[in-house]
Amino acid sequence: MDLLQGFHAALLPMNIFYVIMGGFLGTVVGMLPGLGPSAGVAVLIPLTFGMNPASALILMSSVYYGAMYGGSRSSILLNTPGDAAAIASCFDGYPLAKKGMGGQALAISAIASLIGGMIATVGFIFFIRPLANFALDFGSAEYFLLYLFAILTITALAKGSMVRGIISMTIGLFISTIGIDIQTSVYRFTFGIPNFYNGLDFVVIVIGIYAIGEVLYNFLTIDVTKAVKGAEVGRVWINKDEWRRSRAPIFRGGLLGFIVGVLPAGGATIASMMSYSMEKQLSKHPEEFGKGAIEGLAAPEAANNAASVGGLIPLLAMGIPGTATTAVMMGAFVMIGLKPGPLLFQQNQGMVATLVDSMFIGNAFLVILNLVLVKLLVKVLDIPSGILYPIILALSFVGAYTLNFSTVDFYLLVLFGVVGLFMKLLQYPIAPMILPLVVGKDMEQNFRRTVSGDHGNIGAFFDSPISIALVVMIVATLLSPLITGWIGKRRKVTKS
Amino acid sequence: MLGLCIVVGSLLLPKALFGDPDGPKYFPLLVGAVMAVMSLVDFGMEWKKRRENQGLSARLKAGRAPRLLIGSILISLVYSFIFEKAGFLVSTILFLGAELFLVNGRRKWLANILVAVLFTLALWYAFARLLGINLP
Repeated sequence: MDLLQGFHAALLPMNIFYVIMGGFLGTVVGMLPGLGPSAGVAVLIPLTFGMNPASALILMSSVYYGAMYGGSRSSILLNTPGDAAAIASCFDGYPLAKKGMGGQALAISAIASLIGGMIATVGFIFFIRPLANFALDFGSAEYFLLYLFAILTITALAKGSMVRGIISMTIGLFISTIGIDIQTSVYRFTFGIPNFYNGLDFVVIVIGIYAIGEVLYNFLTIDVTKAVKGAEVGRVWINKDEWRRSRAPIFRGGLLGFIVGVLPAGGATIASMMSYSMEKQLSKHPEEFGKGAIEGLAAPEAANNAASVGGLIPLLAMGIPGTATTAVMMGAFVMIGLKPGPLLFQQNQGMVATLVDSMFIGNAFLVILNLVLVKLLVKVLDIPSGILYPIILALSFVGAYTLNFSTVDFYLLVLFGVVGLFMKLLQYPIAPMILPLVVGKDMEQNFRRTVSGDHGNIGAFFDSPISIALVVMIVATLLSPLITGWIGKRRKVTKS
Repeated sequence: MLGLCIVVGSLLLPKALFGDPDGPKYFPLLVGAVMAVMSLVDFGMEWKKRRENQGLSARLKAGRAPRLLIGSILISLVYSFIFEKAGFLVSTILFLGAELFLVNGRRKWLANILVAVLFTLALWYAFARLLGINLP
């Protein structure tokens, strides 16, 4: 990968402008409750229409990691995480802000995010090539199993029951079968509506479920949750002592976050939680955790950003999204005309180098943005929810319209908004449904290719060492709730 | 309460059979079957602890929730209907205004109208002018 040449392209004024704009919009979107990174990326996809692919890629990525930065701003200041990955930042970030150290908390979180992001970007350069080469050996059986494994791990890790996660997954898979079948041109589940012939647009579903569903869900509690007054932000900087305390946690968090992020279905939420508990165990004074320990904020912040960069590796190298947000990113790439996967590297080397370099620039810019403009940015949090929610609704509708220029999508938005509301109320995990929307068609094709290549024999899924390993991992994932339940029971028995 | 997903699961099965040659129907059939089985399992598990779930309808009926939910859905449907007929500017101002009056309350009418008009104009400018996307 020619990084120097990549810098040349990444430093084009237009691309720098996109990095800055994406980072800024991402931060704002990430901060707002009701518009997480998934919906944020989805709503902003129309912005990339008419751009050249490299710029579009840069913009989408900067929105993505900008949203990760933004999510923790509101964690620290309001104790309301902008997205799940920022939950761990509440534990010590908010106590710090309450102690009047909001400025230091914001500063350390920005610095930790920068270092975490940088560690992961360096790791990205080293790991993406080998992984892409490895993925070249994958046949259709392996791909089908890998997709299944990624979705099932998300299901197992999501809150709520495994059974409901699998139901969500089947809903997503079912939606992905809507439209004309690629192999036989049979119309499936189109109900005679021409707009369904090419399948439902996953972006519409994502916006419906995440943005509209979230707003509807918030309506339930709109009068109960009182407007929280943001804590005072002091000087946004840290002193030597604070840096000394958080240095090691940042590097550990960054490394851990990167590794977890690369794993399929790892994701930033788990990475930040894991690094929080790791720091707590390593700490000489664990009793300070939860009461405003600066290490307890630094580590998950670094992990969170490192994981979101790490998550781009399986996405770009293998075409496997590990989280709902990277799934949306993958959909966005496909719309731009880039198919993530090993071939992307053979065909578009220069573009990937440009993306990597833009990540360096973007991370650096976001720190500046977060250190200098943070006082201005947090003003966004003061918008009363009565005005914010209608605006999010309008934005969702207009964003969705620009995809297909059809108001049929509007009805779908409303439909999936209601679906999202009920899934949240009934505690059905949503991520296992989003992932199949993007990879479902590929999954089916790979499934059919495997089975028909072997004359309708399921044995084709056990032909290579890789696929056998994947089958074992899938079975283990499926059984994991049973196993943990069993261990829990045994512990109780031994205790009593 | 969870009968809903049973219905979805079972509705799916007959429909999944409906593909013409053999190829396109296996996968949906498999998906439908897994969904139906899992729905049954889920239903069984829910049935055992059904008492815990009675809070749900209470939450849907609490305070302003029913008015906001039904109101927003209706306004959205009307918006979907008039969007192409009335054009972007008119319909979006109406939509945003209606939503704002519903959620933000009638007392803040001035802020509501200002936000509705200005935000719609800003959106229109961003999409139609800066991005060159045609809006009706």
